[in-house]
Amino acid sequence: MDRRDFVRLLAAAAAAARASAARDVAAEETSQTPVGYRPHSRSEPLPALRPVSRYAAAANPGMPGPYPGHVVAVKSDRVVDTSTGAADDKTVREMMARGMRALTGAAITADAWRKFVAPSDVVGIKVNCGGYPHCISAYEIVAEVVRQLSAVGVPLTQIYVYERFQNQLDECNYAPHLPDGVKIVAAERANRNVDNSGYDPATYLEADLFGEEDTRSNMMRLVSERLTKIINIPNMKDHGATGVTGCLKNIAYGSFSNVARTHQRGKSHTYSVVGTLAAMEPLRSRTVLHIMDGLRAVWHGGPFARTTRYVFYPRQIMFGTDPVAIDRLLLDIIEEKRRAEGVISIWDRSPGSLKMDNTRARDADPNVNIIIREPGHVEFAAGLGLGVYDRAHIKVKDVVVD
Amino acid sequence: MTALLAALLSLPCVYSADADSRARLSAAGISRVCSDADLAARERLETPGIQARAGVASPTRSPWIVANGWRVMRRPNAKYVYDVPAGKAALAAAEAFAYGADAVLKIDAADLASAGAMFTFLEQVPALDLPPIADLAVVDDGSAIAAEVMNLLARRNLLFQVVTAPSSQFRINIAVGSREYPREDAADPSAFALKIRRQLGDDERSLRVYGSEVVICRLTGDARRIRLQLINYGGRDIEGLRVRLRGLYRGDEALVSGAGRLKLNDHVIAGGATEFSLPRLTTYAVIDLDAVR
Repeated sequence: MDRRDFVRLLAAAAAAARASAARDVAAEETSQTPVGYRPHSRSEPLPALRPVSRYAAAANPGMPGPYPGHVVAVKSDRVVDTSTGAADDKTVREMMARGMRALTGAAITADAWRKFVAPSDVVGIKVNCGGYPHCISAYEIVAEVVRQLSAVGVPLTQIYVYERFQNQLDECNYAPHLPDGVKIVAAERANRNVDNSGYDPATYLEADLFGEEDTRSNMMRLVSERLTKIINIPNMKDHGATGVTGCLKNIAYGSFSNVARTHQRGKSHTYSVVGTLAAMEPLRSRTVLHIMDGLRAVWHGGPFARTTRYVFYPRQIMFGTDPVAIDRLLLDIIEEKRRAEGVISIWDRSPGSLKMDNTRARDADPNVNIIIREPGHVEFAAGLGLGVYDRAHIKVKDVVVD
Repeated sequence: MTALLAALLSLPCVYSADADSRARLSAAGISRVCSDADLAARERLETPGIQARAGVASPTRSPWIVANGWRVMRRPNAKYVYDVPAGKAALAAAEAFAYGADAVLKIDAADLASAGAMFTFLEQVPALDLPPIADLAVVDDGSAIAAEVMNLLARRNLLFQVVTAPSSQFRINIAVGSREYPREDAADPSAFALKIRRQLGDDERSLRVYGSEVVICRLTGDARRIRLQLINYGGRDIEGLRVRLRGLYRGDEALVSGAGRLKLNDHVIAGGATEFSLPRLTTYAVIDLDAVR
């Protein structure tokens, strides 16, 4: 590799700077920004973020893709038995087929998938295992994605189900639900900061956030060196540092190393880091489809779901190529559920709600934050060109499967 | 003096109370053995490793490293003794070797095999006596607070030289209690070390390590070559550790304890710096590189 390979993504950096300059105005002008919410930037400047990548953007990057500002929401009351949490495989398949056709306008399901993948593609399926055992990327959805990829000619050996940590994949154990040949891979054995070989040393975000010594977050080699397309399957979850964890957080923090450093001691830099990571090449160009699994959801304590206490059942799946638009809807879903439960907003920044690093208090009381959340990360990502944030400009196509 | 003899002399010795233990050490491959007489007038060093400190550090994110290299740098001619529990002998031996400490190790019998393996490895490291590379100077007034500053700088791989008076060789001279570095600032050594790091600027540092916060390095060199020694305090092997060295260097392998010669990966020379990845770091590794002219 020579010096030319060590190119900074100036375009991304410039976009980040533009977004930074514009965000105060955007926060005031956006009608859905809650009254009293003070974006991160009001209290202090955003940290300097320096994306480094040798990859150029595709002519038509996957995000926001061909359907910016468009979301298909497919709902079915019968898809989950809420007394057991079990999903109905047949209903999931029908929801998937109708969702994909509604998103693309294709008359045949296979044609809908052909708009995103070709038989020559090497396809990654980014799952989310953090909410094990009660809210992970559903086996039924992941299996159906694999089935459809295979149906359009992608060899099973060219399909990778991936996460960052092998121990989480082991817990979730997708293998029995998938045909032989599909690879299930992780970058690290566990979250211990000792496995770096699975990350690309030349593709990273450089940032000194809290004075940490390791200032790089590297992209997974799988993403930068192997995959040609990525399908993102996040869950609908609350998140203690970002407000919600949806498309943006799952694809960004699930594809880079050393990201837990962005939020600690009550403070979160996720406001700008989530979108900046998602916008880095080649991740941005290769992530072509988001299928948000809302069969089950988490309204507090996320991204974890070790108990069912904070689990609820939206019984829907959202489809789109615009991660910002889907996450914008997710903000409302989690916020409305929390309001219905009579607890503090995801936008709450009051010191009285903050019990720094006290996860036990957070788990026991949904009015406790352990970090000041940054749900504004979704709007920030819009400023990077990743999608449409303004609710008035997001077109939602509702589909009901009876 | 042959290189092998020089290497042997830089090894620490292991304390043996009696003939039986001497025999066991010998059987484990440890030939540098010392007795009660060698223990006199030695400064005791702490057991190296990491500790979890509530509210301060966590083992995975910002571990609290206990390391002694800075002590040896502060008093290079002093004599030291480690008295370490089971599981720490190899790390202590590597640390003493890396800093050239005149040290005696009192080890647990359970560590005979691991210590023996480390000593065998250290004996194979080619002797190379090069001056330390430093980016800044610390004026040592002998105070406890200066000691803690050195400790924190070392843990962050901020390479310093201990001086008795400010040196014109360095852009940054840290004299605790001076106008620029008031004593009250140094009361929080971690914040103080961060302040110094930012004064120096990460791009100006001779050494950066990515992929772990539990590795402390010792960098020595001259105009022709450098030696980088890496000590892993974390207790777990680290894969793919990334190293950035300011300057242009060529070299393609590391000597890694317990793993032998390993090829360096993803070697890049760009922007006035050299980067490479070490495929595996056990407890200790040595990398010798030649300057690119």
